[in-house]
Amino acid sequence: MRISVSDWTRSGSPWVWLNAGAVAICIIMVLGLLALIAVRGLGHFWPADVLSASYDQNGKRSQLVGELVESEFVPAAQLRDSGVDVPAGVEHMKRDLFKVGNRDVTGADFVWALDDSVTERSYPPMMFVAERREWGNLYGYLQAIKQDGELVAQHDGYAPGPEYDALWQDFQRRINRAQELHAQIEDIQKGVIGSINYELERLRLKQRALELKNSTDALAYAEIEDRRTELNAEYEVLQGQLLELSNALNRDSFVVEVANGRSIEVQMSKVVRAFLPNSMHVGDKIMHYLSKIWEFIADDPREANTEGGIFPAIYGTVMMVLLMSVMVTPFGVIAAVYLREYARQGFTTRVLRIAVNNLAGVPSIVYGVFGLGFFVYFLGGNIDDLFFPEAKPSPTFGTGGLMWASLTLALLTVPVVIVATEEGLSRIPRAVREGSLALGATKAETLWKVVLPMASPAIMTGVILAIARAAGEVAPLMLVGVVKLAPSLPLDMNYPYLHLDQKFMHLGFHIYDVGFQSPNVEAARPLVYATALLLVVVIALLNFSAIAIRNHLREKYKALEM
Amino acid sequence: MTSNMKTHAIDISSLKRDTRVLNMDDEEITLKVNDLRLCYGDKEALHGINMQIPRNRVTAFIGPSGCGKSTLLRCFNRMNDLVDGCNIQGEILLDDSNIYGRGVDVAELRRRVGMVFQKPNPFPKSIYENVAYGLRIQGVKKKRLIDDTVEWALRSAALWDEVKDRLHESALGMSGGQQQRLVIARTIAVKPEVLLLDEPASALDPISTLKIEELIHALKKDFTIAIVTHNMQQAARVSDYTAFMYMGDLIEFGVTDTLFTNPVQKQTEDYITGRYG
Repeated sequence: MRISVSDWTRSGSPWVWLNAGAVAICIIMVLGLLALIAVRGLGHFWPADVLSASYDQNGKRSQLVGELVESEFVPAAQLRDSGVDVPAGVEHMKRDLFKVGNRDVTGADFVWALDDSVTERSYPPMMFVAERREWGNLYGYLQAIKQDGELVAQHDGYAPGPEYDALWQDFQRRINRAQELHAQIEDIQKGVIGSINYELERLRLKQRALELKNSTDALAYAEIEDRRTELNAEYEVLQGQLLELSNALNRDSFVVEVANGRSIEVQMSKVVRAFLPNSMHVGDKIMHYLSKIWEFIADDPREANTEGGIFPAIYGTVMMVLLMSVMVTPFGVIAAVYLREYARQGFTTRVLRIAVNNLAGVPSIVYGVFGLGFFVYFLGGNIDDLFFPEAKPSPTFGTGGLMWASLTLALLTVPVVIVATEEGLSRIPRAVREGSLALGATKAETLWKVVLPMASPAIMTGVILAIARAAGEVAPLMLVGVVKLAPSLPLDMNYPYLHLDQKFMHLGFHIYDVGFQSPNVEAARPLVYATALLLVVVIALLNFSAIAIRNHLREKYKALEM
Repeated sequence: MTSNMKTHAIDISSLKRDTRVLNMDDEEITLKVNDLRLCYGDKEALHGINMQIPRNRVTAFIGPSGCGKSTLLRCFNRMNDLVDGCNIQGEILLDDSNIYGRGVDVAELRRRVGMVFQKPNPFPKSIYENVAYGLRIQGVKKKRLIDDTVEWALRSAALWDEVKDRLHESALGMSGGQQQRLVIARTIAVKPEVLLLDEPASALDPISTLKIEELIHALKKDFTIAIVTHNMQQAARVSDYTAFMYMGDLIEFGVTDTLFTNPVQKQTEDYITGRYG
């Protein structure tokens, strides 16, 4: 039996197919997006094999050492235009991108080369990679280790064997020693010296405040001066310690043979880690991979954000979103309670509701401009005049910072919370309110003890939507407090612990900065994907925790069957 | 014709448990309604009601849907204040003072005149907290006092034995009949003088209904009870006095036995014999 087209249409199945198809496309797009950023971002941390090859550049032969990053096909015409000799009849040619590292030696750490011109490719097992604090990766053969300029161990760098293993172990030991010393120096600099500097600055402000008040309290001045002398003495001691440590740190160096037979000497203190990718097993590589990912999540950035981790950005993002939630929830709930419960329903409330809904549609950069003009310049400026005159002319709150950024985003998301809360309030059955009122409760008591707890899942829905929107916003933040590199975290051990006036780092801005403002675009590109993936994960985690809270509340205040 | 109808009237003598002869003149009056008129916007819903509700008796309000019996009940604790455009004239005296007078604390009035609604409306809290709610609102802090009151209220509402082991579980897990008794317990926990019941059993099954009716019987020694019901048998079973209302007027008010067996008004007779309603 055949079914005619019109019967098929009438049966409704085309609609089912259409709807299901639309859902399928949405899912595929989302999964595809996540897969793309995951593959591109996470692949970066895998220790790739290092290749050594002969590179023929317009007849000039040289040695090429590095990792193959990617390959692409380029039209022959484009190559001919740029002066490359391409045989006739060839349409496309394969071109490879190599990460050759050694930026201090060669000047550029990425090289594009035609696939055909790179020959005699091999993966020598003794080729090692050293990640450095500056100048990017180092590729080469380890040849010697020096201590205080004197040769300690030597090797030709090519032949494997127990001699080389001993050299390599010594090398690793010295790197670890340097790492430990470096960590000690960091601790002193960021920890104790940071605190001393912070207190010195506070003393300076205290003294300035006294001067501004024309105080003649000699005792107070003397106290400040005493404390300052004390701190300076402490500082001197620490300076001495630092000098000792850095001398110890610079004790060791090593000699590497890099591409084309050149040998260079490198300070051991500059190395973060060294490994032999070509002779690593899969298990070693996985361990290495995991430690790189951990470094990415938990460490501070290095080298203009193109190396190291992004911990301060994660921290800043989470901190800002939490502060935003703390600010937006009471604001939104109180406004919604007034609109729904107290205000007389009529023309005015209708207009207000329309205004609130439209506020949600205002482009975020407009909020940024408003935040800059009102919060930063007007409010912040006045706060500085009133409370921090001693710090002038440098601004305290009169410049972008964590508080103004959170407040701006709270303003951006408050309509969402208002709408969701109103929706929740309107769903509370009348019978429950009357039940409370009939027991002699006032309207306010009924609201606080019965209605708002029952509406709390709806309020949480609003907060979830607010978090989802705020965590992904970058544009307004660029105007009100985000920076590419913040010297310290907004929450630390220095009184008053939470520094609302400080500028902070943010994952979204970090992506923009690394991807488009970086001096080393090729090196930064994988980090863009990795950071994007991390941003998605952070937002998802924030949302999931909010959803978990909401589900808990829902269970607790299960709606009455009315 | 009339005598024929009377044979159809409900024989309530078998249902009544209390067979004392009642007389309004002997009663102490708790609520006195004087020429009460109520308008929703332009529409008058109560056209000058005059009646008295005696202390420690059950007074039932019957009548067809929309006759104003629930509206009248909600006037006794000023629940109608919450309705937009509701306008009330006349007075209701609770112990000789007008509840619509100036300077009356409505919350305090509602504590003295408690109300139970048609559908059970427990709060989404534990059973204990539901009963303690009224006390906490009044600022009672002493745990001992609250504990004792909760137990007393639950016992009075014949619920204690069923829930004493799960006082701190959510009230929403109870059956409908239990929820309604919980609501009654919650209401009597604040020791009101008057208990208003607005069709308390209409959403319940017959067994739960029976329990509620027994409860009403038991509670009337401590409280003055006014109950609105659609069910005439129920009114006959539980009440001492019955008011029949029709289209916003109080048609007849008297001792339940008399009203059901020997109504004075023709409209009352028509209604209780099932002519309309």
